[in-house]
Amino acid sequence: MSAKFSYQRAVSIKDAAEATGRPGTRILAGGTDLLGCLRDGVFQTNRLVSINNIKELKGIRSRPGGGWRIGALTTLTEVAEHRQILESYPVLAQAAASVATPQLRNQGTLGGNLCQRPRCWYFRGQFQCRRKGGETCFAEAGQSLYHGIFGASQCYIVHPSDTAPALVALDAKVSIAGRRGTRLVPMSSFFVLPKDSLVKENVLEPGELITEILLDAPLTGTRSTYRKVRERASFDFALASAAVVLVMAEGKVRTARIVLGGVAPAPWRSTEAEKAVVGKPLDAAAVAAAAEAAVKGAVPMADNGYKVPLVRGILEETLTALSA
Amino acid sequence: MPRIDGYERVSGTAVFPLDVILPNMLYGAILRCPHAHATVKAVDTAKAREMPGVHAVLTDADPEAQIGWFSRPGSAGSGSPALSRLFDPHCRFEGEEVAAVAADSPQQAWDAVRAIRVEYEVLPFVSDMEAALKPGAPDVQEGGNRMGNPRETKRGDVEKGFAEADVVLEETYRTSCDIHTCVEAHGSVVQWDGDRLTVWDTNQGPFPIQAALAGALRMPLSKVRVISSYMGGGFGSKLNLGKYSVIAALMARKAARPVKLFLTREETFLAVGNRPAHIMKLKAGVKKDGTLTALQLTGVGEMGAYPAATAVGYQVGDLYKCPNVRIEETMAYINAGPNRAFRAPGFPQCSWALEQMMDALAEKIGMDPVDLRLKNISTVCQMDNNKPYTSTGLRECLSEGARAFNWKESRSRPKGEGPWVRGVGVAGGMWGSQNGPPATVIVKLYADGSANLNMGAADLGTGTKTVMAMIVAEELGVPMDRIQVENADTGNTQFTSQSGGSKTVYVDSPAVRAAALEVKSSLLDMAAAQLKVPAADLNFKDGEILAETGTQRLALRDLRQLQMQQAVVGVAVRGPVQSDKVVRPFVTHFAEVEVNTRTGEVRVVRMLAAHDSGRVMNLLTYRNQVFGGFIMGLGLATMERRILDPVTGKMANANWHDYKIPTAKDVPAQMTVLPIDLHDTECNTTGTKGIGEPAMIPSAAAIANAFYHATGVRITAAPITPSQVLTLLAERKTKG
Repeated sequence: MSAKFSYQRAVSIKDAAEATGRPGTRILAGGTDLLGCLRDGVFQTNRLVSINNIKELKGIRSRPGGGWRIGALTTLTEVAEHRQILESYPVLAQAAASVATPQLRNQGTLGGNLCQRPRCWYFRGQFQCRRKGGETCFAEAGQSLYHGIFGASQCYIVHPSDTAPALVALDAKVSIAGRRGTRLVPMSSFFVLPKDSLVKENVLEPGELITEILLDAPLTGTRSTYRKVRERASFDFALASAAVVLVMAEGKVRTARIVLGGVAPAPWRSTEAEKAVVGKPLDAAAVAAAAEAAVKGAVPMADNGYKVPLVRGILEETLTALSA
Repeated sequence: MPRIDGYERVSGTAVFPLDVILPNMLYGAILRCPHAHATVKAVDTAKAREMPGVHAVLTDADPEAQIGWFSRPGSAGSGSPALSRLFDPHCRFEGEEVAAVAADSPQQAWDAVRAIRVEYEVLPFVSDMEAALKPGAPDVQEGGNRMGNPRETKRGDVEKGFAEADVVLEETYRTSCDIHTCVEAHGSVVQWDGDRLTVWDTNQGPFPIQAALAGALRMPLSKVRVISSYMGGGFGSKLNLGKYSVIAALMARKAARPVKLFLTREETFLAVGNRPAHIMKLKAGVKKDGTLTALQLTGVGEMGAYPAATAVGYQVGDLYKCPNVRIEETMAYINAGPNRAFRAPGFPQCSWALEQMMDALAEKIGMDPVDLRLKNISTVCQMDNNKPYTSTGLRECLSEGARAFNWKESRSRPKGEGPWVRGVGVAGGMWGSQNGPPATVIVKLYADGSANLNMGAADLGTGTKTVMAMIVAEELGVPMDRIQVENADTGNTQFTSQSGGSKTVYVDSPAVRAAALEVKSSLLDMAAAQLKVPAADLNFKDGEILAETGTQRLALRDLRQLQMQQAVVGVAVRGPVQSDKVVRPFVTHFAEVEVNTRTGEVRVVRMLAAHDSGRVMNLLTYRNQVFGGFIMGLGLATMERRILDPVTGKMANANWHDYKIPTAKDVPAQMTVLPIDLHDTECNTTGTKGIGEPAMIPSAAAIANAFYHATGVRITAAPITPSQVLTLLAERKTKG
């Protein structure tokens, strides 16, 4: 750790944006990922800016004209237990409830959950990998049990967030504040793949922070669910997950958004799977076709071939459940 | 009976070594080799020494650090040559000690450790036991990667046995390398007072640590005091002296300040032991009526970088009646942390193989798996000249357990249409109880009728102190809340060996009983003198001395000799354990699992554990032991494994997140412990045989058998993870 280190409490969003613009600065929200990264030497910082005193970043509020806004500092527990979220966006409530452990959900924030760094054990461990500025991806010839089957190039991380696939499936928007004002980015454009950047996982620039997540009011006939498969029942990231949001009309699927987690460097939207169900009744044939379509183009590594049948299985289960 | 120290443990007033804070104390940190295999060419500590707060830096260049290290620390002077030294420049595994720092704060110590420049020559490594035994593999130890000659055990003629069998099966089973992950990390706090060294150390018994530390530092035993009255879990990994204790002592002397040196969680994954991975090729022959005709085991174990053999064959030779047995075992060196004893060393691995094989044999001959086991029960110890066991509860464990688990009905219940399917499995087991050297125990009865139990044994959280206090209460009639226990402190308790091998109650409780009886006898002698009646006519009950005739009573406050000397002391050394019979605990576990054939998820939903460990001393702590053991077995069966990176040899999952142990949500909702409380009057004076290790021996195998029953797919390699389940289910689909 650097000998020179400072800690600052931002008093406003503007203040936070100013402060985080300086090199070597990191934003401290819940800290559940940041402090681990600093302790493990994944990256270093000489300046922490806490945003925990900025009231505007907290809480869940309804939007005029329908829909909800969730402040970036809202804890995962609040998201998981909020009555309107549970009713209108089960996919998000379920995703938030599936994160880590009760303690981590009480401390961790929604904004932080979207900005957490990958869990790749080479990235987190004492390996100078490409994402840390090194020359090698150790997973290529190493242990790839938890790595990706989609969207990789030179780096095979999977995006670790549970709420991210849910928010992409809900077509949410993320409000980003910076020194030059705010911008609104669709959740589906928020994350970046290794082909665009090997060192960051989202579009945030220095001096920018997420202020809130915007959700539109759900259309009539919307059904949604989040399913996560992990090696143990708690305190574990997804081997693979699926966030599914369907709008049903007259017994058929009108629109579908199917987003996979744990299989790619960003939440992985499967338009192929969506196409397989849109305009059709959600019967066994459509479910099977969607499950099969979702794994087309998968490129398994040495140890993660199981993720192909796993994705298939998860989609069979979730789509069948939503058809009822 | 609630734990005698329950309040202290729950309220946080119990002081564990990790809690100890002394005035002027420094914090130590160890620089460890980041490579699987390397030679240290140069260590530059100049910058570290200049850093703020640094008071001591220790490397191989320090003359006092030239301390030989042995496979079992403390065997120094036994004539065997040292295997390495404190900071050996030849680092044979990731995590070997290279240098150490003591500073005012842990952060300063770690900053200084990171400022030490080390020049390594990185050497070729081998991290797989099969690769290690092939010609041309890099040598981990001089003389090759095979430790000595294979160990061989033979009985009868296996070829003849296989020829007599109606069914012969052969299968290769594998278990992974698992880490102990004790809640309290390994470490010590050391303080010098002149030439006296006091060490608060987290271990399974302070006396062997005292001896090893005195040997390493060339000090008299009398000058080394080791205190481990509370400790936060060991499971076998804290039986021996750790280098950290020696390093802390040397730095404390250098700095003339106390030093606290506890390992980080990550260090404990690398350097303080594991249950070694095993490959077990098992061949078995059985007749149609279920009679076993031959068992042959060829085992290879992954030792790590230093000698630490773990044999797995015992149950193959002893659990079931079988005339023809051949066991051949090899241990291989690899460039990874050496193994240590881990809850029933070798036995859960053996069960994983043997009990799955029994399941497969039963299916082949169309017999119920419980019945096949019942058919082959032995009442004599086949591995020890057919000496009889003091008691054999395996039959009761199987039959009463099956009844309580509702085995027959559960076994024939529909498995489900999918995606969730269910199944039940059973596995038997035994533990090779161990003797220990005699323990000395002191029981003191005070003038007010309260008592003090002074014993050397460490309580690993198992409830040892409570059980021992109950014996004092039983003999002297003193209420539990008036008994104080002093334990596990070489400064003021008496010698006993470590708490390990499930032998603490078995070995030490007879000494407690004898000491309490001696107190009673002294008390009666005093009363006899005062009342002028023969001592034989007197009895001590409920704090009063009663004459046989019932006419005379004497309260303790009226016993003049006691009130004068204020206490009666009883000292006892456990007598010899009889050797014409063999003491063995037996066990049977039943498990019910649900498997999602779409996602590969495995849930253990119900378990029942039937145990013959002799007399149940305290049902509360007995049940806790069994629950803990089963859950540890669940970890072995479904999630735990050390993963070494094939390219660098470094451990990929050296943390509590990527190395997964079961959480509360993974524990079955229904857990039942069924004690088979047989009266064993021959094993010792308390009728106890030990429960800690039997509690996890067959758990993983029972889960594996239940998985097979549910899916029809045999998983021979632990753990049964979704990745493996999906891969095997997909293979079955393509193969049809």
